[in-house]
Amino acid sequence: IVDQIRLWQLDTERMATTNGFLFKEFDDYKEYISVVTFADEIGVLQWRNDRKGMFFITYAGLSQVKDFVKNKNKEKKAGK
Amino acid sequence: MPRAIRGVLIECDPSIKSIIMNINESEANAYVIEDLDDSHLVVQESKVQDLKRRLDDHLKETIPEIDRDSDSDRDVKQDKKGW
Repeated sequence: IVDQIRLWQLDTERMATTNGFLFKEFDDYKEYISVVTFADEIGVLQWRNDRKGMFFITYAGLSQVKDFVKNKNKEKKAGK
Repeated sequence: MPRAIRGVLIECDPSIKSIIMNINESEANAYVIEDLDDSHLVVQESKVQDLKRRLDDHLKETIPEIDRDSDSDRDVKQDKKGW
């Protein structure tokens, strides 16, 4: 159904729009992959490019993804 | 630490995207935050409505078929009135 709505939107408005956040400038590829995988798993991922190390999530997904990044950083610091 | 940038993801045809990029260039890059790929880009939230309006204007200018159709309709109506 979501795909049908998207197609309908593309047809009538010529473009589909999603409010949200672009994530970029990760420290390394490993960090990028772990966060983008998390975003995908909780269903907030809208677009990704592994080569560029960037992804876009819905507005509603921000708090969860932000918490995940924070926790990862804490783990990293604790590990050192 | 990664950066999270607030904006609106636009998914569209490559042809539409190139028109958006042209509008963006003509306005000192005020609309587009990041050019993602052939069919995706991120734009300023506050500029989306403005961009849609400008895109509609542009498409009206470049698709003359619509004008011709309305002309032919008007001709038919005028003929009917004449009878």
